[in-house]
Amino acid sequence: MAQSRAGQSAREAKEGDELALLNRVRRGDRGAFSELYRLYHPRLYGYLRRMLPNPASVEEVLDDVMLVVWKDARKYRGDAVVSSWIFGIAYRKALTNMRTESRYQAPLVHGTDANTVAAVSSKHDEWIRAALIQLSPDHRQVVELTYYGGFSYREIAKIADCPVNTVKTRMFHARRRLKVLLPLLAGQKKEHSRERA
Amino acid sequence: MNVRESVSHEQAVELLPWLVNDSLGAQEQEAVRAHAKSCVICRRELLDLEETRDSIVSASDSAMIPEPDMRNINARIDALIDRQNRGRELLSRLREVFDSPWRIAFAAQTVFLIVLAGVLFWPEPRSVEFTTLSETQNLAEGQYIRVVFSPDLQQPQINTLLDAHALTIVDGPSMRGVYTLGFANTNIDDGTLLSSLQANSNVLFAEPVVIGAE
Repeated sequence: MAQSRAGQSAREAKEGDELALLNRVRRGDRGAFSELYRLYHPRLYGYLRRMLPNPASVEEVLDDVMLVVWKDARKYRGDAVVSSWIFGIAYRKALTNMRTESRYQAPLVHGTDANTVAAVSSKHDEWIRAALIQLSPDHRQVVELTYYGGFSYREIAKIADCPVNTVKTRMFHARRRLKVLLPLLAGQKKEHSRERA
Repeated sequence: MNVRESVSHEQAVELLPWLVNDSLGAQEQEAVRAHAKSCVICRRELLDLEETRDSIVSASDSAMIPEPDMRNINARIDALIDRQNRGRELLSRLREVFDSPWRIAFAAQTVFLIVLAGVLFWPEPRSVEFTTLSETQNLAEGQYIRVVFSPDLQQPQINTLLDAHALTIVDGPSMRGVYTLGFANTNIDDGTLLSSLQANSNVLFAEPVVIGAE
């Protein structure tokens, strides 16, 4: 419990720092923007890389997100924490990119065939990525934002601009799906390594 | 959600992923933990979720994240700032021009005078009438002769022929090459003029016509 409270106050301090940075960006401070960019680059990169079907567009979408941050810093009203606001922009950019890409490309792995997934994913992160790709974009977003982004369900509701109960429902379905998929993939992976050995 | 002292099983199950990522509020966290202590299903679910989280987090940790490269974003911001500066420059020039009420009044007066001069002195568009050769002009009432000349006949020869008979072209030629000729001081009734025209090999057709008479 004490650990959790310490975590909470550390989080609040971090939010305060980010807000101060954003306020400087709002005044056109390029140095502050550079700091904010470097601060968010790893988080956004990881998030977008798993969300986007084409890894080649990650850097481009990330820059699109940060350009909106630069342009719209004045519009930030403070009704969500800075990270939720930035991830909200990333969420919308990712969805737009996913829709555009899906028009021109077949998804990396389609359907629910765990054999196919295991066949294309030998590394651990690829294996997880392949499992997440099986989820619908909305469900995947909730899982990503919860486990990878560390956001609360209320923050996710703000990011995705949907009711809190929708977030909970999406997570419920995503969990059910992953429960089936991950053991299946784990089994396939073990067999795959045994065969190789 | 209002969490006071306890949560139902369904509520606790829903909130478990956010207990795992440590983002629940203190009250919610306490209530979900208290429920999980007494619920086997939730405890098992919690273990599953922690495993899933660890898989996802370790996958993300092991993934290669490149060093941030700000060249592209900096170039885009520079371009954006350039555009904004150009807009501001234009605006400030306009402000400089109109920095005093006298200048604004002078500019307004000039614009007003230009518009007024335009309204007063702009030539009115002439109504242009278009007529085709086949249209009959408004001829005065009276007797005329309709004539068709040979197509080989050139304009000077036509003029000579008309002069010889004291005729003038009052209309035509129509689309079919019909001329309406007027005549003066000649009485058409004696037939001399008509016979002379009809006898001419360069005249294919010559007939009298009365316009306006019933």
